[in-house]
Amino acid sequence: MKSINLKDNQFIQFHQKISFKFDGVKYFGYKGDTIASALLRNNINLVGRSFKYHRPRGIYTCGIEEPNALVQIISEYSEPNTRATIKKIYEGIEIESQNRWPSLENDFGIINNLFSPIFTAGFYYKTFMGPHKKFWKNLYEPLIRRAAGLGKPPKDFKGISNHIHHNVDVTIIGGGLNGLLAAKSFINSNYDVLLIDFEEQLGGIINNSNKISLIDNKEPKDWLKETIQEIEESKNVKILKNTLVTTYNYINHLIAIEDRFVGYKPIEGKVNSTLHKIRTGHTILCNGHIERFLSFQNNDLPGIMLSSSFEKYMCRYGLAPSKEPVIFSNNSNSNSLVYSLIKVGLKPKAYIDSRSGEEIEPNLFDLIRKNDVPLYTNSQIKGAFGNKKIEKILVEDSSGALNEIKCDCLCLSGGINPDVHLFTQSKGLLDWDEKDLTYKPSKPFQPTITLGSASGQFNFDNLNSDVNEKLKTFKVKKLDVKLELNTNTKYNIEKLWEVSPQKKSLWAKSFIDLQNDVTTKDIRQAITEGFDRIEHLKRYTTNSMGTDQGKISSINALGIVSDLLDKKVNEVGTTIYRPPYAPLSFSAIAGRNCYEFYDPERKSPIHSWHLKNGAIFEDVGQWKRPWYFQINKDETMHEAVQRESINVRENAGILDGSTLGKIEIKGEDALEFMNLIYTNSFTKMKQGSARYALMLGEDGMVKDDGIICKISDQHFIATTTTGGAATVLGCMEEYAQTEWPNLKVFMNSITEQYATFNISGPKTREIMKKAFPNINFSNEEFPFMTFQFHEFNGIPIRILRASFTGELGYEIYIPSNSAPKIWDNIQSVGKEFGLASYGTEAMHLLRAEKGYIIVGQDTDGSITPIDLGLSWMIGKSKKDFLGKRSLTRSDTIREDRKQLVGIIPSNKADKLEEGQHIILDKEIKSPVPMLGHITSCYYSSTLGHDFALAVIKNGHSMIGTKAYASTSSMSTTGVDIVKPVFYDEDNKRLVS
Amino acid sequence: MLIINCPYCGPRDQSEFSNGGEAHVKRPDGSKEIGDREWGEYVFIRANPKGLFYERWVHTHGCRKWFNCVRDTSTDEILVTYKLDEKKPNLNNFKSVVKTPSGEPEVGSGNFTVEK
Ligand SMILES: [Zn+2]
Repeated sequence: MKSINLKDNQFIQFHQKISFKFDGVKYFGYKGDTIASALLRNNINLVGRSFKYHRPRGIYTCGIEEPNALVQIISEYSEPNTRATIKKIYEGIEIESQNRWPSLENDFGIINNLFSPIFTAGFYYKTFMGPHKKFWKNLYEPLIRRAAGLGKPPKDFKGISNHIHHNVDVTIIGGGLNGLLAAKSFINSNYDVLLIDFEEQLGGIINNSNKISLIDNKEPKDWLKETIQEIEESKNVKILKNTLVTTYNYINHLIAIEDRFVGYKPIEGKVNSTLHKIRTGHTILCNGHIERFLSFQNNDLPGIMLSSSFEKYMCRYGLAPSKEPVIFSNNSNSNSLVYSLIKVGLKPKAYIDSRSGEEIEPNLFDLIRKNDVPLYTNSQIKGAFGNKKIEKILVEDSSGALNEIKCDCLCLSGGINPDVHLFTQSKGLLDWDEKDLTYKPSKPFQPTITLGSASGQFNFDNLNSDVNEKLKTFKVKKLDVKLELNTNTKYNIEKLWEVSPQKKSLWAKSFIDLQNDVTTKDIRQAITEGFDRIEHLKRYTTNSMGTDQGKISSINALGIVSDLLDKKVNEVGTTIYRPPYAPLSFSAIAGRNCYEFYDPERKSPIHSWHLKNGAIFEDVGQWKRPWYFQINKDETMHEAVQRESINVRENAGILDGSTLGKIEIKGEDALEFMNLIYTNSFTKMKQGSARYALMLGEDGMVKDDGIICKISDQHFIATTTTGGAATVLGCMEEYAQTEWPNLKVFMNSITEQYATFNISGPKTREIMKKAFPNINFSNEEFPFMTFQFHEFNGIPIRILRASFTGELGYEIYIPSNSAPKIWDNIQSVGKEFGLASYGTEAMHLLRAEKGYIIVGQDTDGSITPIDLGLSWMIGKSKKDFLGKRSLTRSDTIREDRKQLVGIIPSNKADKLEEGQHIILDKEIKSPVPMLGHITSCYYSSTLGHDFALAVIKNGHSMIGTKAYASTSSMSTTGVDIVKPVFYDEDNKRLVS
Repeated sequence: MLIINCPYCGPRDQSEFSNGGEAHVKRPDGSKEIGDREWGEYVFIRANPKGLFYERWVHTHGCRKWFNCVRDTSTDEILVTYKLDEKKPNLNNFKSVVKTPSGEPEVGSGNFTVEK
């Protein structure tokens, strides 16, 4: 294919040469070129290998609908599957072709083309589901993984995207003739209007073709310039260029992606795309139409392209891809290509029309006759032939005779379709137009208006009245634009979907989906096999399932299917067009919500101390909590945890508990409210005392636990689990607002306002005395489960005597800003008593030795307080609280419910594993009746062996009996079922 | 994504809100004796209609207030929002605007088969 430059062009800067590399070879293009136009300028048309059969493929279109010319941009983190027809080149851009090995010219995978008779419709399903599954795993999958596909995944992708929100009255999608007319009507009105176009230059059909000769008696490009200027100067219309609307959601919510570096190399660290999230009152779709192709043998050969695309290359890119293309059409849309060619002194090598001479437009007829273009009416192309490029075609003329025509380029037009993707995404209904042979928008579902060819108006006669009529709901000025055309005014098409090949052969291929390598034969086979519903057929053949969603071919497939089934196309229906309209990168969707902003990290006020002191962190919700502290590099986690826990039992330990949820509850009716929220009764509780409390769901299952401090009947402070803080506050608010609005009560989170230190161990009292010399920590003055407010060096603090380890312990609540100072102080005075920090793992071990549960670990949303053996916590005299009635439901009082027990290995040296089943038989013989499972399991240095908590059926009555625990090596370990407390059963140490 | 008109703050993006399930479900008075069935229905059973539905929402990342609304579950359109202490609107007021996407049947899935 030999191209020529048409230098009379306003969009390509022919004075500015740009060098680029394609498959390692350096070429030149001009500023304004896309990869495709630059390649065509260099007479390169072989740009890729096809998905399945590795057939050579060329540039088929000149826009977003491109099925073939997908390339890898090496210079942009190796971004794959970029459409060569829209990506603009810049100095130094490096491009590679895809899906070929070892090279594009000599591709090994072409061997698939030889085997093609086996890769037919349903190939994947048949090999997956068929009797030879081994073939799939060992032979097909490894082969196909290497051979099938598009580009390679990108490397070290660091794209940055911004999100911008818009809230407007009207969004006009598409800045072509109709989009501009609509925008023009809105100039200086009271509506906020957004005009979005995918291209760098507004104008659409005015720029892309020679269809229009005069607008309001002006040259189209002069009219365009004036109109754009008027729109740009208006205060109420904003224009977004280089922006593609990909998604049309409910409630007129649109998503559009803007390329910020069109024609430039993206700068690292700068935003390279913007995702626009648009809320709009009305959407006006002016997104035009897409030309479709035709199926015949080898309709995929490089050198074949759509006729309107050829014209777009001429008008928009100053380039005729070939000097004498053959044109094959069944409709009037390709008339203007003939006109455009002759205008620049070229002419088609032949014009082939499936329509009869009477159907062909008279002015086209004149043009062809005057310029001696060979004309074939009532004729069809039976096939195209050539080696890696088109060399000749076979034409069957009206007499049935076969004519061979040598050519280097073939322009196809199978008719045009309104671009209905966005309209159907909006849930609008389509209707089949039997005259224009396409689906057109009929009933919108949302406030959606379609104008111009997007609405199925392929003629220009009713331009003014159509726009005025459809915009009459708005207070805008009426249009009166005079349009003159170069060619015919009426769209005319004759039905033609496919031309059958001259010779029947297993290897003859007429493609219906170029990107997914689906042939018309695949469609026939699928229907023969019973896949005659269009949605089934699509999935079985993968027709229109590529990244182009079959933009140039899916209607042809419907046509073929309707003929095969002898049904109307409307009865066949369409498949659903789903968002996005064209692929958009994950980085654009993620925006700034990635890396450290993906999920916020929450850190305690003591975090920097932990970092300096060897803490290994674990994630608890969004919080970073010290898991354990490594005193030297060689210390293992097991050693650290045992060291930390023994130290708590023998000396004292300090834990940063700042992440615990803290909620302050105040109000006249706070006491009544707390009695309703928690199982416990707080009525008789003394001021200044604290209580361990449970919160249930209405289903009676344990939802959260914590310690409630009663400051007065009108003022409480509750702690929650670290992970449950937001849920508990939300639940309190929900009930306060929805069920008991009569109660005067307010609640607020104070989690981040206060740091919490948990100090426990036999030497704690001495440390506390030394750290807070003005406070009396004696048992009489400061008994277990009481709290006191104090001031320490001017800092207000609250100390609660409570323990989660089973040792004598205190919790200190300090305003977060002052916390590090006090933490350091306690650390230094504690040194002489052997005080050491411990992490969450040692805490878990210590609490488990005492049989204290962790909500969410030992419970799972199906455990009641009774199951936990915590019936004593239920305020039975209370009239009501969350979940109270559920505790007497027939299901919750069942005896064989899973209940909390302790487990120790019968042979103390044996190991237990968390999550393993408790069963009755030593032998594992399926089916194995499962009693329950181990919820927490640790090795305890204090006990000298493994121990565990478990929930097992009827567990309470099984205490004292023997059972077995399964192991991960599929054997069993003998265990004793015991009470769920392993240390200091009568709480002597707690109250010491 | 929906736009939800918080009765306290005005129209806001759906991401600021959380759904709270069916509205106007009365919590039985805990001080009275009630049977397992009645209580079980309160705890576990909720309506799930295709069409108009009274629903609770909370403006989680906003004023944190709970409120009620009428939502068309087949289109997700929220027809009205109102405060908890306001009377629930009569669903007949909205019957005329109820529609289903793509003209699909009133009951069943939304398969795009146009039968004329
Ligand atoms: Zn609000």
